[in-house]
Amino acid sequence: MDDYALGVLTNIALFSFIALSAYLLLIAGEMSFGQQALFGVGAYAAGMLTAMFDWPLPLALVAAMLAGAAAQWLIALPTLRLRGLVFAMATLAAAEMLRIGFELLQWQRTVEGEPVGPDGTQGFRGIRWVFESGVEPAMFLALIALLLAATVVLFVWVERSKLGATLRAVGADDELAASLGIDVLRVKLGVAAAAGALAALGGALYAHHNTYIEPRNFDIMLGVHSLAYALIGGLGTAFGPILGVLLDIGLLEGSRVFSGYRMIVFGGLVALLLIVRPRGLLDERVVHALRRRTLKSS
Amino acid sequence: MNNGSKLAIALVALLASSMAHAQRTPQASLDCKPGGAKFVYDCNVRLTRAGSPLANVEVSVGADMPSMPMAHNVKPAKAKPTEVPGEFQARLELEMHGEWALKLRVSGAVNDLLVLRYEFDEKGARPAQRPTRGAAIR
Amino acid sequence: MLDLLQNSLDGLMTGASYALLALGFTLVFGVLRRMNLSYGPAIMVGCYAATWLSLNVAVGLFVLALVTLAGAILAGAYVERLCFAPHRTGSAVAAMVASFALWMQFEEAVTLALPKHLYAFPALYTGPPIAIGSLTLRVEALVTLAVAIAICAGLWALLYRTRFGIAVRALIDNPTAAQLAGIGAGRVFVGVFAIASAIGGATGFLIAATNEQVTPMLGMWATLKGLLAMMLGGLGSLPGAVLGGLALGLVEAHAQWFFGPQLRDLIAYLLLFVLLALQPGWITRWTTTRSAS
Repeated sequence: MDDYALGVLTNIALFSFIALSAYLLLIAGEMSFGQQALFGVGAYAAGMLTAMFDWPLPLALVAAMLAGAAAQWLIALPTLRLRGLVFAMATLAAAEMLRIGFELLQWQRTVEGEPVGPDGTQGFRGIRWVFESGVEPAMFLALIALLLAATVVLFVWVERSKLGATLRAVGADDELAASLGIDVLRVKLGVAAAAGALAALGGALYAHHNTYIEPRNFDIMLGVHSLAYALIGGLGTAFGPILGVLLDIGLLEGSRVFSGYRMIVFGGLVALLLIVRPRGLLDERVVHALRRRTLKSS
Repeated sequence: MNNGSKLAIALVALLASSMAHAQRTPQASLDCKPGGAKFVYDCNVRLTRAGSPLANVEVSVGADMPSMPMAHNVKPAKAKPTEVPGEFQARLELEMHGEWALKLRVSGAVNDLLVLRYEFDEKGARPAQRPTRGAAIR
Repeated sequence: MLDLLQNSLDGLMTGASYALLALGFTLVFGVLRRMNLSYGPAIMVGCYAATWLSLNVAVGLFVLALVTLAGAILAGAYVERLCFAPHRTGSAVAAMVASFALWMQFEEAVTLALPKHLYAFPALYTGPPIAIGSLTLRVEALVTLAVAIAICAGLWALLYRTRFGIAVRALIDNPTAAQLAGIGAGRVFVGVFAIASAIGGATGFLIAATNEQVTPMLGMWATLKGLLAMMLGGLGSLPGAVLGGLALGLVEAHAQWFFGPQLRDLIAYLLLFVLLALQPGWITRWTTTRSAS
C-alpha cells in the first residue's frame, strides 16, 4: 500500500476515535464541544511517558486512557445538571482551559543529550517510540485499526445490551429515566469517563503517528468536526460517526478530486444532507429498519 | 526455573526491547521556491546527522496543517537525491498558503520522521515563527 | 489606581465590540432558539469583501463599511436560507451542525480568495489617542462605543416602539402563543436574522478598522468572544448580552494586566465555567427551554 493511502487510512482511523467519543456523549444526551481537549490529554500523556520516561507504548496507551477518563470525569462532575447549549459551552470553556494549559506546559528532560518534552507553544517533538522500536507504518496502522475494531465491537455489544438501552433512555429523556429508577448521574459520569478514555486513546495514537504535537492541534475545530461527523453519520449506530469521518476525509479529501475546495463541497453537502436527514445518515430509524430486516431474513 | 523467574525474565526482555536505542536524531532544512502551478513548490531538502550529510536514505515529504490535523491529506512527495550527498529535491503540492507542518519520512540507513513547520506563500517558504495563540486575531 | 482606571477604560472599550457580537448571537438564539455557529464567519466574509475591494480600488472608509455590512448580510441570508429556514420546526441540533458546515465553507472561501495569513485594513483613525488627564482614550475605541450605544438604542426602539418589535418580543417570550395569535414567525425570523447580520457587519468593520488588519482567524475569534459574552451575561437576554460583553472586556483587561495574555483567556474561560457550574438563575433561565428537536 502506498504511503498516501496509508496516511489517509490512518487519519480516518484516528479521527474515528474522537468522533466515537463525541457520539458516545451524544447518545447519552450530552453535546460536547470539548472532546478535542481529551484527545490532547491522551496525546501529551502518552507522548511524555514514551519519549521522556521510556515507557513502552502499550503501557503509555493505558495510562493515557486513564488520564483522559479522569480529566473528563472531573469536567463532568460540576456540569452534571447542565444540558443543551449550556452544557456545550461549559465543555468548550473547559477544553479551551486545557488547551491553554498545554500552551503553558513546559517540561523537558535530557534524554541522550537532547532535551525532550513539551515546550509550550513550540510544541512537543520527538515522540519517536514507533520508529525506535522498528514498527513500520503499515504495522502501526494495523495496530490502530485493531484498537478501533475492538472499540466498535465493544460499542455494538453495549448497544445491544441493557446498558445501551439505559444510555439511550438517559439520552432521550433523563427525567423519565430517573423516574424509572435509573441513576442518571452515575450513568452520565460513567459515560464521561468512557468518552474521555476513548478520545485520549485516539490522541495517544495520533501523537505517536505524527511524532510531533502542539497545542494548536487540539483547538475547537477538531472538536466541532468530531461532533459534526457523529451527527452527520448518524446516531443510530457506532458505524455512524465512522461513516461521517469516511465521507469527509476518506471520500472527499482522499479522492483529491476537490483539492482546495473540499471544505466548501463538504460543507454544502452536509447542510443539504441535514435538510433531508436531520438526524444523520445512519439514524435510529434506519438502523432499526436494518435490524428488523436482518431479523426477518434469519 | 520456576514461573516467577520466567516471568521476570520475560518482563525484563520486554522492557529492554522497548527502550530507546541511542540515536542521534537527524536534522533537516528546506529551501522552497514556487514551482509554477498554484500552491506547488520545488523544495531542496538538506539532511544531516551529527553534523555530516545523511545519504543512503529515502526521503518523502508530506504535509499537514497544525490547526486542522488529520484533515488535509497532501500526497507525500518522494524526494530525489541530487549530486550533493544529503541533499534531495522534492515537488510539493499543497492545498493553500499558510503554515504547514512538513513531515519528512526518512527510511533506509536511518528510520525517522521529522516534523518541520514552514510558512508558505507565493514567494516560497520560510521557517515558521513561534506560533501565535489560536484564539487571538492579532 | 491609575492603572486600574486605564485598564477599566480599555476593558470597557473592548467590551463594547464584545457586547455587539453577543447581541447578534442573542438575537438569533433568543428568537429562533437556534445557535448560529456561522455568525462570526459571516462577519468575516463581510470584512474580507471589504478588504478585497480596498486592495483593488481606492475607496473611502464609508464605502468599505457599507461593503462589510452588505457582505455580512448576504452571508447571513445564505446561512438563514440553508440552515435555519429548513429546520424551523425541526431539529435545533441539525440547524447548528448545518451552520457549522457553512462556517467551514466561509473559511475556505475566504482563504481561497485572499490566501495570505494577514491583510492590512484601512485604519479607522490615524491620529493620536485623546488624553484626559493621565488617561488615554483611543478614538477608534470611542467610535466603537458610540456605535454600540447607537445600535443598542436603535434595537430598543425597534423592540419597544414598533409592531415588528412586539412580534419579536412575543416570539421570545412564548413562541407557541405568539404563533397562535397570528404572528408570522417565518417573516420575523428572517427579519431578526437580517438585523443580527447587519449588527455583525458593523461590528466587523469596526474591529477590522481598529486593528487595521484581517486574518482568517477572525471568524473563530468573533464566534468565541460572542458566545463567551452571551453566556456570561445570561443566555438569551439582550441587556445581558451587552452587560456580558462589557464584563468580558473588563475581566480580560485586568487579567491581562496582572497575568499576561495567555492567562487572560484562561481566566475568562474559567469564569464562564465556574458560573455555569454554579448555575446562577439568570443562566439557567434558558436551560429548561426545550427547542423542538
